[in-house]
Amino acid sequence: MAKQEEAIVGRRLKTSYISTVVSITLVLFVFGLLGMVMLHARKLSDHVKENLGFSVILHDNAKPAEISHLQKTLDVMPAVKSTEYISSDQAAKDLMEELGEDFIEFLGYNPLFPSIDVRLYASYANPDSLALFEADVIRNRIVREVHYQKDLVSLVNDNVKKIGIGLLVFSALLLAIAFALINNTIRLSVFSKRFLIKSMQLVGATQAFIRKPFVIKGVIQGLIGAMLAIFLLLGVLYAGQRQIPELVSFQDTNMLLSLFVLVIFLGIIISWISTHLAVKKYLRIKTDYLYLY
Amino acid sequence: MALDTIIELQNVSVFQKNVLVLSEVNLEIERGEFCYLIGRTGTGKSSLLKILYGDLPMVDGYGKVAGFELKDIKEKQIPFLRRKIGIVFQDFQLLNDRSIKENLMFVMRATGWNDKVAMEERMEDVLEKVGLRTKGFKMPHQISGGEQQRVVIARALINDPDVILADEPTGNLDPETSEGIMELMFEISKTGRAVLMATHDYRLFDKFPARIFKCENGRVIDVNAPAPETEKEEQE
Repeated sequence: MAKQEEAIVGRRLKTSYISTVVSITLVLFVFGLLGMVMLHARKLSDHVKENLGFSVILHDNAKPAEISHLQKTLDVMPAVKSTEYISSDQAAKDLMEELGEDFIEFLGYNPLFPSIDVRLYASYANPDSLALFEADVIRNRIVREVHYQKDLVSLVNDNVKKIGIGLLVFSALLLAIAFALINNTIRLSVFSKRFLIKSMQLVGATQAFIRKPFVIKGVIQGLIGAMLAIFLLLGVLYAGQRQIPELVSFQDTNMLLSLFVLVIFLGIIISWISTHLAVKKYLRIKTDYLYLY
Repeated sequence: MALDTIIELQNVSVFQKNVLVLSEVNLEIERGEFCYLIGRTGTGKSSLLKILYGDLPMVDGYGKVAGFELKDIKEKQIPFLRRKIGIVFQDFQLLNDRSIKENLMFVMRATGWNDKVAMEERMEDVLEKVGLRTKGFKMPHQISGGEQQRVVIARALINDPDVILADEPTGNLDPETSEGIMELMFEISKTGRAVLMATHDYRLFDKFPARIFKCENGRVIDVNAPAPETEKEEQE
């Protein structure tokens, strides 16, 4: 009979321990998920922006030396990620492939100009930088015009900004929720030990001595919660990449690792602070008041 | 104040929250002294003990226990005051989530012991004294009220304190065990420790005569002191 009772009590105590860990896990998981979405969104927007680029259309009579000089000048600019020279013949060939028609034969001449395709780094792909860049490049004698889709650039930038702010606000909110939830869970588990804490105080234990095991337990719970959350995140990442193989190209291992470190850090810090505050609260209350709550 | 005075109260008022329970309490107990604290339930015996171990703040008056001044004692000092005092709580205050051995171990670790062998020895020693040497592995809820009370007594003895404050330590014990405990307490007091014991068990006075303080009408009276208005203790 006593054994059975012990088993039931044991199970109950374990359940409360597990439920604390589970709630920490879930909160950190949602937080990490948001982090991953943000990471991918950034990579995606970078990808789109860097592919936007623009074309520097050259005059027909540009000499190869001049062209290669211009290309080199472009290459050393900090904004430029890569350049590619496309001769008029190459351009014609590309267009022919696209149209499936030999338009040179039809027209009798090649109407296309040679050009240099420029890809920019994401941070420079905004209308202001592009305008400056255009003004700079167009001064060159052999440049006929600079061609890019102004509207598209603005559109992409606006959307990325909106989504970015939205995600940022949401993640700040989620951080507050994470703290509140974990704090609440830990508070409850400390609350259930308030008489124990008081007894420890009455037999001459210092506050730090009483607090230590609680804080250690809290940190371990936070750590386990964080580990489980990361496990779940990896699962989601794996499933996501199975469903959308293109995602793999956006994966940035370093950023992902930083995110996981952040999740662990949050798990530990939040449960540490919460446990510390919760235990402190009951250390300060006089015995008689414990019965009032 | 004599050199050997270990508990000293002068003009102390005892408040429970905002209610004045006892006023103008004057009390001096020396090393080696054994004293009873009697009085009807609710007359402030436990509150007086709580003042002595820092669980109730001393609002006015002067008080000193084992070298610690009680008025305006810092929160941080209270644990160290309590290490000088062995307290037998009326409501036990055992740590219910661990065994008797671990209860005693906790107190030793909390108060600075770290020699495992010495701790083990000390624990066996005090458990032997209260007759529970074979039950150390049990959880507090698995033993009877009387046994729990004896564990509390063992815990109070474990640090060899200067002062023992006992709040009805024989309340849950059968006559034989309670006699054993009384003998133990008397012995302890003879080794230079002060014992103040709150009790209702008036039968003990014949067998173990000692100084008696009585809580009555908001005052603490030294029964043995020659005072004309003090009668023999009344029965509950």
